Amino acid sequence: MRNSRRTRLVFALLVLTAFTLLTLDFRGGKHSPLGGIRSLVGAVFGPIERAVADVTHPIGGFFADLGHLGSDHADISRLQRENAALLAQLRLDVAERHELADLQRLDRLAAIGRFPMVAARVTAMGSSLGLEWTVTIDAGSADQVRVGQTVVDGDGLVGRVQAVTATSATVELAIDGQFIAGAELAPSGQICYTTGQGLAPMSLTVTNSQIHLASGDGLVTFYSPNTGLLAPGIPIGQVSTVETTPAGLPRAALVTPYVNFTALDVVGVIVEPPPPTRHFILLPSPTPSPSPTPSPKPTPSPKPTPSGSGSPAGSPAASPTPTRTP
Amino acid sequence: MRPARASLFAALLLTGAVLQVTVINRLPLPVARPDLLLVLVVACALVSGPAPGAVLGFLTGLLADTVPPADHAIGRLALVYAAVGYGAGLLDDVEERSVLLPLLLVALASVGAVALNGVVGSLTGDPRVHWPTIARELPLIALYDVVLTPFVVPLVARLTRRVDRDAVRR
Repeated sequence: MRNSRRTRLVFALLVLTAFTLLTLDFRGGKHSPLGGIRSLVGAVFGPIERAVADVTHPIGGFFADLGHLGSDHADISRLQRENAALLAQLRLDVAERHELADLQRLDRLAAIGRFPMVAARVTAMGSSLGLEWTVTIDAGSADQVRVGQTVVDGDGLVGRVQAVTATSATVELAIDGQFIAGAELAPSGQICYTTGQGLAPMSLTVTNSQIHLASGDGLVTFYSPNTGLLAPGIPIGQVSTVETTPAGLPRAALVTPYVNFTALDVVGVIVEPPPPTRHFILLPSPTPSPSPTPSPKPTPSPKPTPSGSGSPAGSPAASPTPTRTP
Repeated sequence: MRPARASLFAALLLTGAVLQVTVINRLPLPVARPDLLLVLVVACALVSGPAPGAVLGFLTGLLADTVPPADHAIGRLALVYAAVGYGAGLLDDVEERSVLLPLLLVALASVGAVALNGVVGSLTGDPRVHWPTIARELPLIALYDVVLTPFVVPLVARLTRRVDRDAVRR
């Protein structure tokens, strides 16, 4: 029956069905008749993803520890069992220490920026054959997470909430191809916008050819022209390469994000927009970088110097409300 | 398809869909990530032929279209994986003859799938379709998928043989 008429008929029917679904879902937009299917599958797979993430979470620490294991094969079984138990403990400790550090950095950002924030963990990441940069987080509408809210981590802008279920949410990352972030340049306050390009640096588009651009300039969020508002003042990234017109004016530039998108773990959802003042207070460090040469290896997670942003961790009201699920 | 085979494939593809989003997509690899589901669809189609391959691909794609954090029109990956399953299934009897065939097939299927995904995406007006980015990611997706193949294809073939044997014995 290989490649018989019936086989081809089956294939043609499947293609037709797929196109019908595509048309229905695409035409429907936000009110798609297939939205029910999506939320049903989300309700089933959200908890599964969280369970798998709980298991795989300590793996990073595990692989790091493997290198230090001895190669003594004469261990008696008691020692091996003990060793395994200790390793499991250590692995968990490493993971917990990482998580604690992430939470502390997030806390600092929330305190300085005075964002009411809900902490969450990334449980899954999408790909769709390279077209899509989205993650699932383990906080949903039950935790005051709503569509359109800004998501950050301790280093800066992560993305925006795209869909929510009761206990999980889908976040579109700032490196996604359809994510456009309105941005403000740190020294001058000039407006421009960044577009995601996957794991390659974001592209920066200037709105004004008189703009002064230099590599090392920091960018914070300003507003988002086409898809809702982002919380303002969130660090996005650092200008790394500037392309100029023959006349020497900046035409386009690349931006290296502060957030390490391949190692996302603890994130915060800004559940209420913060006061739109004190623009550049959250940038990692005042980077005067006068050299126009592009920095060849930008630091993936710039450590903020304590002196760089003077404001101490704010009032009790400013503390975030992390609702961690076990 | 025998029920034993069908449940084996269902288990494999469900596990694959979860592993893809929770583990594989989070690996810190440069530029792109491998597509375990595509390799699984090819492996299942190679042992079952074009029509079952297309159906398996379609269902797998439907799953990948809806499992969070998917955020595109439902039906796109169903179309892409159905085509992959159909194409790979056409070569179902050639599988025993060469070790290289699955590798070539997966490379070809990856390139075809990424390109078709981009085409269908741009037909439905997806603003994410940016061909320079796709062109940069495509060779690496194909390469990563080829690296997965020697682990996945023989495993699926062996499990299928075992399930078939048990079904006959019973």
